[in-house]
Amino acid sequence: MEYILHILVMVCIYGILAVSFNLLIGFAGLFAMAQAAFYAFGAYATAILTLKLGLPFPVDLLLGVLITAFIGALVAIPAIRISGTYLVVVTLALQVIVIAIATNWKDLTGGTDGLRGIPSLNIFGYALDNPGRFLPAAIVALGICFWVAWRLANSPFGRALRAMRENESAAEAVGKNLLYMKVAVFAFSAGLAAVAGSLFARYLNYVGAESFGIDETIYMLAMVILGGTGNLWGSLVGAAVLVILPELLKFVTLPTEIADKSHLIIYGLLLIVILRLRPEGLLAERSTMRHLPHVDDTNRHGAEMTAPLPKDEVTLSGNDLHKRFGGIVAVAGFNIVLKSGSITGLIGPNGAGKTTAFNLLTGFLSLDSGTITFRGRNITGLKPHNIVRAGVARSFQDLRLFTKMTALENVMVALPNQAGDRVFDVFFRPMKIHREEQDNLVRARAVLDFVGLTHKAYETAENLSYAEEKLLVVGRLLATGAEVFLFDEPLSGLDRTTLAEIFPIVRKLADSGKTICIIEHNLDVIKELCDVVYFLDEGHAMAIGTPDQLMNDPALATRYFK
Amino acid sequence: MPLEEEAQGRKDMLKPIGAALTAAFFITTSAALAAEKPKDPDVIHIGALFAMTGKTSFYGTVMSQGMKQAIDEINAKGGVDGIKLEADIEDHKGGVAKAGVDGFTRLRNLYNVQAVMTSFSPPTLAIAPIADEQKIFLINGGGVSNNLVGASKYLFHNRSLASDLGHAAVSHAHDLGLKKMAELAWNSDAGDNIVKVVDEYWKKNGGTVVASEKMDVGASNIDTQVAKIRAGNPDFIGLWLFSPDPGLAAKRIRDFGLKVPLIGVEYTADVQKLGGAALEGYEFTSDYFQPSADEPWSAAFAKGYKERYHSDPDFYAANYYEGVYVIAEAMKRARAEGGDWYHGDKIAAALRANPTFKSVYGGSMVFQANGVAKKRVALFKVQNGNKVFEKYIEAK
Amino acid sequence: MDLFAQLFVNGLINGSHYALLGVGFGLIFATTRIVHFAYGPIFTAAAYAAWFAANVLGLPIPVAMVFAAAVAAVLGVITYQYLYLPFERGQSSSHVTLIASLGLFIVLENLIAIIFGTGGRVIDGYQYGIFLVGPIYFSSVQLGQVIAMVVLTALLGVYLARTRHGKAILATTDNPEMARIIGIDTVKVSRLVFAIGSALSAIPATLILLKDGATPSMGFFAVFIAFVAVIVGGVGSLRGAVAGGLALGMVESLGLWKIPTEWQSSIAFIVLFLVVLLRPQGLFGRTVS
Repeated sequence: MEYILHILVMVCIYGILAVSFNLLIGFAGLFAMAQAAFYAFGAYATAILTLKLGLPFPVDLLLGVLITAFIGALVAIPAIRISGTYLVVVTLALQVIVIAIATNWKDLTGGTDGLRGIPSLNIFGYALDNPGRFLPAAIVALGICFWVAWRLANSPFGRALRAMRENESAAEAVGKNLLYMKVAVFAFSAGLAAVAGSLFARYLNYVGAESFGIDETIYMLAMVILGGTGNLWGSLVGAAVLVILPELLKFVTLPTEIADKSHLIIYGLLLIVILRLRPEGLLAERSTMRHLPHVDDTNRHGAEMTAPLPKDEVTLSGNDLHKRFGGIVAVAGFNIVLKSGSITGLIGPNGAGKTTAFNLLTGFLSLDSGTITFRGRNITGLKPHNIVRAGVARSFQDLRLFTKMTALENVMVALPNQAGDRVFDVFFRPMKIHREEQDNLVRARAVLDFVGLTHKAYETAENLSYAEEKLLVVGRLLATGAEVFLFDEPLSGLDRTTLAEIFPIVRKLADSGKTICIIEHNLDVIKELCDVVYFLDEGHAMAIGTPDQLMNDPALATRYFK
Repeated sequence: MPLEEEAQGRKDMLKPIGAALTAAFFITTSAALAAEKPKDPDVIHIGALFAMTGKTSFYGTVMSQGMKQAIDEINAKGGVDGIKLEADIEDHKGGVAKAGVDGFTRLRNLYNVQAVMTSFSPPTLAIAPIADEQKIFLINGGGVSNNLVGASKYLFHNRSLASDLGHAAVSHAHDLGLKKMAELAWNSDAGDNIVKVVDEYWKKNGGTVVASEKMDVGASNIDTQVAKIRAGNPDFIGLWLFSPDPGLAAKRIRDFGLKVPLIGVEYTADVQKLGGAALEGYEFTSDYFQPSADEPWSAAFAKGYKERYHSDPDFYAANYYEGVYVIAEAMKRARAEGGDWYHGDKIAAALRANPTFKSVYGGSMVFQANGVAKKRVALFKVQNGNKVFEKYIEAK
Repeated sequence: MDLFAQLFVNGLINGSHYALLGVGFGLIFATTRIVHFAYGPIFTAAAYAAWFAANVLGLPIPVAMVFAAAVAAVLGVITYQYLYLPFERGQSSSHVTLIASLGLFIVLENLIAIIFGTGGRVIDGYQYGIFLVGPIYFSSVQLGQVIAMVVLTALLGVYLARTRHGKAILATTDNPEMARIIGIDTVKVSRLVFAIGSALSAIPATLILLKDGATPSMGFFAVFIAFVAVIVGGVGSLRGAVAGGLALGMVESLGLWKIPTEWQSSIAFIVLFLVVLLRPQGLFGRTVS
């Protein structure tokens, strides 16, 4: 029956939209409220290119997708600098502006009358001019769009997106280029929405501004959330439910004057009920399960990881670092030299500038003055992800694990030089990425073995105990393959038994020639672990020496050790 | 008053035609006997696409009320040659193309409708190609955009186009000897159509346009527009707006101390309610709908409407009421041809064969080749809250 | 210049309206982190409540306004208690609550349309005064919009800073976790902000009823502009919501001085878009962490 076929066509179109929107909201965590504007670009591109320039299929579609993807990428540029609520406002603004232009640029868009007479799709002389004929094309389009989104979401790139969603700075700290990721995901999301727009124009043979308002964006948002964020199948289900449900409700017979309004009331109530029953959405986010490789394979990588490096060489050094915030001096004239194979402790009272020093050394804060070198190379002013890639990684005092991802994924995402982080490779070098993933699984297994979390590989990070979380932080840092590790209070809040588990791990790393620097308050830990200790106060090193030297220094004792 | 006399004269002139048409309507045609036996449906479903929800659901309310009243009346008199009518109303959510297509497809499939009443530009434009392909008779009594004309060969309009109403309104302003026009128009197809026609006419006839402002449909804040209009110091203000916005606009304009004449193209119960005293003296051109003792059908309709819905009908209700009668009459004529008559194209052909129909506005209306019914357009003036007929205006 | 002065005053008036909407919405949003979409239809319900009190019960307008505020407060608290709180207790994400709120929005808006009909409602026979100051016109209702914003915001500011309940609200806004630790019943605080925020919305709602009349769909714009005002001004600050609302009103009005009015609904967003691009740290200098 044509009516059912028509509804299915609409399910396909909204399926594409919901899937594309889920990439942004569910995977990248970018709350951009302009999806209907991207949808509009696709629809108007097809309408204008076919009507005014007479371009044939698929030229209109491809041009529409490219233009929209480009505009999506432009939106990503403010998105890199702003976050959260400001992104909502910028994109809402974009949504309103696009519709205003569609309404007011009458020569081009036909104003509120819209554009009519858009030619139907014509495949080898076979016109797709009714729902039955159009549905196969819509299903193919949905299939292709879903595949593209699925490929992206389940690639290393998709994993990185989810890491960025969980915590942007932590994603940077494991070497991810946020700008690249945001631009790419916006371009893909917008481009896919444009496919839906083009389908819409071809199917209705009509495009008008009223079809792409903010209410459409909200409608798509409801599909994504109802279906389950971070689950692409969920978006399909969400789209199907929200398209079909109102049609089913039309069969509830009521007096004319209240019928349609009552249907909407029931619709609203059902929406609430479904969400109450399934607060995670109809289909919850799942990690892509993988089987860990056997132990034999991992030994090789385990050995690789702790393969001895030459010791006692200067790796990271900071020279005369300065940083002030407004009138407050945070770091002033700080010098530090870290050597391979040794563990350096950073101690000092609260507000002494320890964490600020870490932020400066890893590019999370920009220096006012001073230079940072790594193995003789000047890395001053590099972005955090580039500093990680160069070989200097850091952890955060507040852990910043990717909480909704499994322990295994937390480690996998941190592994260096993943070709799968690049969307080009995701689509055009699938075999390479497949091999690389197999390899990386082995590496990840080795890391998990090393920190003793193999049995928790498939647990999401939020379900780990505090001690396990701390171990995972170490594991994630280790996975970056960096040579220098800056740990910000990795041991605080742990009991003696857990400390006894972690000490050997840190020691082992240092013994293998890694460079380690630890911010710590617990003097017992310092004494037990560190080779050199910097005592920081008022933004610079007041004293440097072995733990014993510093603790026996009378001046420091009165100031700090008491 | 000479104006009134003239109007009265024309009314008298039109009366016999009306009576003849009424007779033709109520007597089943005898021609049917001669033709092939007609293939009848069990029930005639008449579809409708109205704004039943959303910002403009006010329209859906009055349109569906007019439609249902007509269907009940016709059924009470035996339907179309004994076949009962049934209304099936779908919601296009205030002019959303997709919702219109959803509803239209549903009507086609579930009820095998052959005639659909439609409203608003985007849904009508979106269903037009489907109607063409499936040969469905369409009649629109609400949407006023020029773009609707000829969108489908089965699309008819028993509503004057906005541009015609606007043209009539400014020609009246011209007659009054006004020179400087300010206009406030809906930022929509209807508003744009009027502005285009009106500006051209006004400039050609030596007037100046001192301010041309736009407002969103249903916008509540138009202070900026009114301030700009006031700054233009106009002789009169053209309100190219539709329900309920002329009321709001008149009120804001008077608030700002502007006392110049207001001339518009619509006045409904809602306009009156929102505008109140500010509308005193407001002149508007509109489809001539004035229930009175001289027009028995319009009086009967108005009375029936009031009994059913406890409010006075406005011309939107009247148009869709009338539209049902047009459909029923066209179907009757199609059926008289006999055979497999129950198809939109046959119904449209019957309409085109004899495009004159009785109008609830009094007298008759003639559907022109472009599908638009030529109706009487009149100028009214609001006095003591009531619209008072001033004169007929010859549509161009 | 007369036009500019008039547009400036218009901007101030409409900005005050937006600001007051923003203050009510922002109080709820900042304290509970709930994007209370249904703020829109509750605003509408308040307008109809005022209409009912004034037109049907024949109460004087100030009394009708209080009645509307009471209705809105009750609706707000019910919404929190029976919609949001169960979601909160079920540990739902804020996105889920947002969509649930959207569901309620749809329910309430259509319910209002069924109960009160789809046509507009005005208070029969009500006439507001018109003032002429130099070349500038404004009405008593518009004056009321500005006064209501100033007075209510000031009262709210004092309430938050001085009273025990007010301080509990501020503490919860700052850090709900910490507020619970120091013994504040955050559920009670949430109920309180829903009551206050919703009651606040009833004042602009009543004034719009007096100015333009009430329609069932008036709530969408109200909650939309309130949301934008809050985010432009900065979440969690009373002053921010006021500044955001005024800025929107001003830009919308003055922006159209030389620009055609068909851009009315988007001009504020165009400016907003540009400003955020140039000043990503926000309009009023807060840094985004």
